[in-house]
This record gives sequence, structure tokens and C-alpha cells, in this order.
Amino acid sequence: MRFGIAFKLGCLMAVFGMLPTALAGYYIYNSSRELLLQAAERDLQTAVQVLGRNLQSSLHNISLDAAVLTHGPQVRQLASINDPAQRSHVQDDLAALFRAMLLAHPDYMQIRLISASDHGLEWVRQDRDGNHIVRVSGADLQEKGHFAYVFEALKLAPGDVRISPIVINREQGAHSGLGKPTLHVSTPVADADGKVFALLVINVDLDQLFSQLQSDLPDEYQVYLSNRWGDLLIHPDHRRTFGFDQGRRLFLQDEFSEVSRLLDTSGPNSLISRSVEQNQQDGLVAAFVRLANNSKTSEPFIILGLGQLQSHVLAQASRAGGYIAQIAVFFSLLALLVAFIVSRALIRPLRNMTEAVELFSRERKISELPPRQDELGVLARSFRAMKQEILTQLEDLTHSRAAFEHLARHDSLTGLPNRRMCFERLEQALISARQSGQKMALLFVDLDHFKEVNDQWGHRFGDQVLQAVAKLLGSVSEARDNVARLGGDEFVMFFEDVQDPRKIVALLEKLHVCFQLPLLIDGKGVNVHASMGVSMFPRDGNDIGTLIQHADHAMYKAKSAGKNRYSFEVMVEN
Amino acid sequence: MSYRCPLWVIPFIFLLSLQVKADTPTLRVLAWPGYADGDIVAAFEKRHGVKVEVTMVGSDEVLRSKMMENRGGDFDVIAANTAEVHYYADQGLLQPLRPERIANTSRQLPRFRDYSRIPDVVVDGRIYAIPYVWSDMGLIYDRKQFSQPPDSITSMWDPKFQGSVLAFNTSNHNFSLASLSLGGDPFRIKAADFARVSEHLVALRRNVLTFYSLPEEAAELFRSHNVALLFANYGRQQLKQLRDAGIDVGYAIPREGALAWLDCWAISRGARDPVLASVWINYMLEPEVSILLTERQGLPNTLQEPNEGGSTHTLIWLRPVEDDKRRAELWQRIVSGERPPLELR
Repeated sequence: MRFGIAFKLGCLMAVFGMLPTALAGYYIYNSSRELLLQAAERDLQTAVQVLGRNLQSSLHNISLDAAVLTHGPQVRQLASINDPAQRSHVQDDLAALFRAMLLAHPDYMQIRLISASDHGLEWVRQDRDGNHIVRVSGADLQEKGHFAYVFEALKLAPGDVRISPIVINREQGAHSGLGKPTLHVSTPVADADGKVFALLVINVDLDQLFSQLQSDLPDEYQVYLSNRWGDLLIHPDHRRTFGFDQGRRLFLQDEFSEVSRLLDTSGPNSLISRSVEQNQQDGLVAAFVRLANNSKTSEPFIILGLGQLQSHVLAQASRAGGYIAQIAVFFSLLALLVAFIVSRALIRPLRNMTEAVELFSRERKISELPPRQDELGVLARSFRAMKQEILTQLEDLTHSRAAFEHLARHDSLTGLPNRRMCFERLEQALISARQSGQKMALLFVDLDHFKEVNDQWGHRFGDQVLQAVAKLLGSVSEARDNVARLGGDEFVMFFEDVQDPRKIVALLEKLHVCFQLPLLIDGKGVNVHASMGVSMFPRDGNDIGTLIQHADHAMYKAKSAGKNRYSFEVMVEN
Repeated sequence: MSYRCPLWVIPFIFLLSLQVKADTPTLRVLAWPGYADGDIVAAFEKRHGVKVEVTMVGSDEVLRSKMMENRGGDFDVIAANTAEVHYYADQGLLQPLRPERIANTSRQLPRFRDYSRIPDVVVDGRIYAIPYVWSDMGLIYDRKQFSQPPDSITSMWDPKFQGSVLAFNTSNHNFSLASLSLGGDPFRIKAADFARVSEHLVALRRNVLTFYSLPEEAAELFRSHNVALLFANYGRQQLKQLRDAGIDVGYAIPREGALAWLDCWAISRGARDPVLASVWINYMLEPEVSILLTERQGLPNTLQEPNEGGSTHTLIWLRPVEDDKRRAELWQRIVSGERPPLELR
């Protein structure tokens, strides 16, 4: 029963049950995964745009702070004051103002008033130094004319503000700002005539600024910032930022290839990208936005990005996937069970039928099957009818075969065994006689003048004579099959286990007497005589041929001696 | 007996194959990207029936670590700048060369064959390297603002160009330049001269628009601020960049000379086949190979004079300076805007 039809059928049904469930589950999982990713992308895009607007408004606020500081009356006066004491007094007032501003804004690292002449000499400078605000003065004031935040800002009209590209502050003596990613917000200061004579610079610590902006964002969001070339300025891995400061440039577009489209100002303003380096599981999905700057002398734009681990987004999808998998497994098991039950229900009657057929072929017995109304029931009934038909035909066959058998071995007229059967019987008798050392006698009978009877009374009458003779011989025989008609009017009889030959002589005598009596046939008395010869085993021969020949001889001797007698010549010799 | 025969044959064939493999000589080359491109190497392999293994390095530090790993025994021929060649020769990692046995050296410009005037190539009277590729740091000028190319490095200090000069933000070269413009040795500033050279750099600071770091940055400033003069730290590659940006600029080597670096080929002390290494160097000096390098990398070779700057001008091959650290420290203060007198610590 290995991989029988039940197993195959069950498997097929199970497969057809499980396949749709699995496929549907997979499809649902995939589409929900994609939907979640898209939702996450939308969230990221919104978040990065909000973050961008917040950044721009922060920068705008810083610009306003710078403008406020330049509009103080003392500042404008400074252009015209030549008295050192008075000048120093005004500078002290400004320093106090700068100090207050620094205290209010933890992301401001430095506020300076820088001269437009004297190679950009600093006039008033307040630095943040840890928790303190330090005023730098005297010989420690430096010349900054060669820095872009100075020479670029001096070209601006009063009231304009320049926001610098973000760099690492390498200016010695910058206190807390030293080595920090810094944004310089600078604005020119004009005198009453509108002539620019100085500028005000606020140094903003980018990290501080972003830690404020980022505080509203979920923790798993990762912030990216690059300049217009894609140089990384903010990156989850701090070691990758400001590569250009160490002479080794690291680009955002190397990590998120699509960003290169943002770097081209003719491209889109914002886009979604997935990180190229990592594999799908640890990959990042990120939204980027290009933040333009209207000021001509500053960096034209920066790229801001928010990223999220795909695995984080997909955690929800994989939870849903888990449920879907459970449902799929449940329904698959159900399909398996149903397949098992159905295949068994189908197979059991088939097996019963098989057993019934086997029983029939083994024992010719027709067993009863539980009645069914369906196709299997019809099949079972057909089987039953067929078996009955077979049984009937088989019986007929047996009968006719027996009849044929009888016909082949018996004389049809007298019903006595024919020559063939006679010889078989004789052979068997001889074998057993040889084995047991018994003696046998063979009697050959031939009717006298039978031809004349036939001629005189017709063949039908002759046949009746032969039947009567057969009856007569049968009546004296030991067994029914020991008398045979060899053909014509010749009969043979044999006797087994002849202990005394005289019994044979007595029997011959008795037969002779019988033949002397007329046979009553069709109300007519007919005299039919016979000549008889005898041979003895083992005295006269050892095989059938010799024995028959000897008996035949003896019979002819009787016939030539005048018919209607028997010859048992050897006996006479004895 | 019949089945033993193959068993005998197998190790024999194996040994034979080893023998054959060992018979194909292998040249191990340590070079910089662009110096031994695949097609160039393949042509060499085909011509000489050898195998070439090229190892690329991206910095002097990596080059040193590779050389030190097995005291140069891992490589046959290396490409390094003159200062590094001197260092390796001192360490006994190189073997002296016989330029007269490298036929193609005769194709080189005379100044690359005058070994006595190329620093660091000759150590203890023996030649250790053959020049291959170089780059000078000349001056790029705006043709509209200069009727004549600037002929001196002092032009960078010229008040006429105040606010129109771009210098490079680096300590070593700037000190070398300042010393050179004051008529001193660019690489050996005397202790007594440091204050003067530093103040000269403050003067430079006051004359420049700014100190740039990236070539792109320089190109942009050049265009947007009407810059007249630029110190080309990136050599002729920078000239090409500016011209590609559509700026009408020229390239000049000042009469004081231009700082320049020079990369050479040298043969390792542990070279398996010094003759094959010499053949390689000879191959590198073939016109097709050297000119291809110039075409592909934009760096001048040693066979032809570059188009601009001319041969009459001096190249000052870079050498180790007297005190890197001191220069760096001082430079940091100068570029931050400190005013003289700079207190020398």
C-alpha cells in the first residue's frame, strides 16, 4: 500500500488545499509589507519637511537675532566715536548684550562684532567656554578678514544676513566652539549714512541646533545633513562627518545613490532613497529634502535627510506576516486532515470490494457488502452480479466437461468402458497386482454369429442384443468398470486378486450357461452364444498386449473348436 | 605492476608543474593607482613572458606599512616619492640602481637624469631611484589682470592684488613659500628666522582673499571674487579644472622655482629578480607608457616638458622640513588671525 491511490489522492488534495492558503498569505504579507514601507516613507517625507521648515525657521530666528543686535543705537554710533574711553564704554555695553544673548541661546557659541577694516579685526567678542561666557579682548582679538563669513558678508547690503556653509571651527582660541561643526551667521553693520563699517557674526553649534530640532522626532529616526556637494555633515556615525576637513571626502550620495539627483538644482526638491551598502534587512529607508537658501553669497542649498532602519519599519510587517503564517499553517493542516478523511472514506469501500473479489477468487464465495446508494454501491452490485454469472457458467462448464469425459471413456451404446478406459483400468490393476504379487484373470468374449443376427433382425435389434449381453456380463463382474466393450461384438472382463483359478472356471461355466438361455428382446427370445478365452497374469504374460493376445488366442481356439464354448487351455493342462 | 605506474606519475607531474610554475618569473609591483593600469601590465606580461602582481597603495603611510611588513621582501619594484625613497634607502630596504643599464633613461629630460640635483635619490653616493612622474605647484593667474605672467612668488604679497589672491590652507608649503620669497631655504628655516617667516605669512594672510582647501572651492572663489592669482597646490590638474570652468587663466613657474613632488621607481633589496625589475622600470619609461600616464592622470611625465611653465624654470623637489610640528602649530595660529608679534613658544 506504499504510495497507494489513497496516499496520492490525499497528497493531491492537501496540496490543493495548502497552495491557495500559502499563496494568499504570501501575497497579503508582501503587499502589507510594501504598504507599510510606503507609509513609513510618507511619514519620513513629512517629518523631514517639517524638520527642514523648523531648521529654516531656526535659521531665520538666528538671523533676526543678528539683525536685532546690529540695530542697537550704540553699534551705529561706534562708527563715529573716536574717543577711546567712550569707545570702550560702548564696546562694554555691546559685550553685555552679546553675553545676554549667549545665555539665552545655548546653541550660540560665539558673538562678535568685526571691523570691516584692519583686516577684519575683532572689536567685541564673547565666547562660550563650557558653562561660562568669556569675553575676549585686547591682544587676543584676531584678524578674520580672510574668512568667507567676513569678506562675503561685507559685500551684503545692510540688513541682509549671510548663513555660511557648515565647517569645523579650526580658529584657535574659539573656546567651546573649537573643533565643533559651526554655522556662521553674519550681517553687515552700517553707519547712519548706510556705509558698512563692521559686521556682526553669530557662531552656531550645529550639533546643539540639531539636538534641539531633533528632540521632537522619534528616537529611531536618524538625521543626515550634507552640503551642496554631498559632503556628510551630520550622520549617525560621527566618524563619517566632515571628511573634507581631514582631506578624505565622504559623500551622502555614496550611501544613498538617489541623493545625487537632489544635488542637481534642476532635479526634484525631495525624494526617497534606500541605502545601497547594506543588505535588505539592515538597510535604511530615508527621505531627503533640498533646503534652498535665498542669499547669493552663501551656500545655495543643503540636503537634509531622515532615515529609518527598514527592519524597524518591517517589524510590523513581519508581525502581520507571523499571523498570516499561523493562519496559513492552520488552514493547511485543516486541508491535510480533510484530505486524509476524504481519501479514507473513498478508499475503504474500494478495499472492501477488493477483499470480496479476493475471497471470491479464493473460495468461490460471494460475501455481502454494506449496501450503498452511490456509484460505489452500483460498482459493488455489478461485481456481485458478475460473480454470480461466473459461478453459474462455471457450474455448466463442470457438468459438460464431466459429460465429455464420460463420453470419451465409455461406449455410448452399452455404457460400458471403452477400449481406452479398459486399458487404463487394466494398467492400474496390473500395477497394483505386480506390487502385491496377486494373480489376475482376463476374459475375452466374442459373440457367435452376431453378423447373422444383425443381418436377420436389423442393426437396432443387434444393438439391443449387445446391450443385453453387456448387462449380462456386468451382472457377473466384480466391479462395474471391470467389463468393457472393445468394439463390435468383442467384450473384455478382468478379475483382480484371483486366489483360486477354479473360481474363474466356475464363473466361465456360469456365463456359458447364461448364454445358453434365450435373450428376451422386444418380446422375442433370441439365442445368442459366445466364445470365451482366458489368460492369467502373471502366468500368460506380463503386460496388457500379451495378456489380451493370449486371451484372444484362447477365444479363437474355442471358436475353432466349434463355438459356443470357452477355452481355458492351460487350466486343462494343469 | 600496471596499476603502480599512474601512482608514480602523479607526484612526478605535480613536481613538474611546480617546476613549470616556478619557471614563469613573477614581478611584484607596489604602486599608486594609475601608475600600472591593467592594459599596461598585460602588455608587459605578454612581451616578456612573465607574470606581474600589482599591489596598489593610496598613501605614504600604507606604502610604508607594506614595505616594512617583510623588510621589502614582498615586492620587487616600488613607486615612491623622493623623500620616501631616501627613507627606505636609509633603512636598507632598497638596492642601488645602474641607470646606464636602463636604456630608456636616455629618453628622459636632462633634469631627471641629473641625479645629483634630485634630492633624496642619491644616498651615500649611490643612486636608488629613477624618476617617473611629477607635479609642480606653480601660480595660476588671470590673463585679464596680468599682461605678463607673474614671474615671482612675491606677487602673492603684492598689495596691488590685496583680496585677489588665493593661497592654500597648509602649513608646510606656506612656510616653504614664505621662506623662499624671503630668499631662504624652503625646507630648512633657521630657528632665528622663524619669527620673520611667520610675520611674512601674516602679511600673506592680510593680502589674500582666503586660504582654500578643495580645488572646487578654489575654482568657485576664483570666478566669483575676481581672483588674480592662485597658488596651485594641485598643480596642472587645477589649471585644467579652471579652464574647463571657462576661466581664462595661465600657468607660471616663478623665478624662485616651484615646489614639486617627484615619484620614482626603485628596486627592493629583497627583489627576486633585480634584472626583471630593471626591465619593468625601462618599460615604464617607454614613450607610450609614460605619455599614457600623462593623458590619463594629467600628471607630467619625465620624457616631455609640459606645455606651460617651460623648461627654463626651476623645480624645487619637496624634501622633509626641519620641523613639521612647529610649522603646523604656528600656521594654526596665523590662519586663526593672530596679530604680530607672534610669540614663539
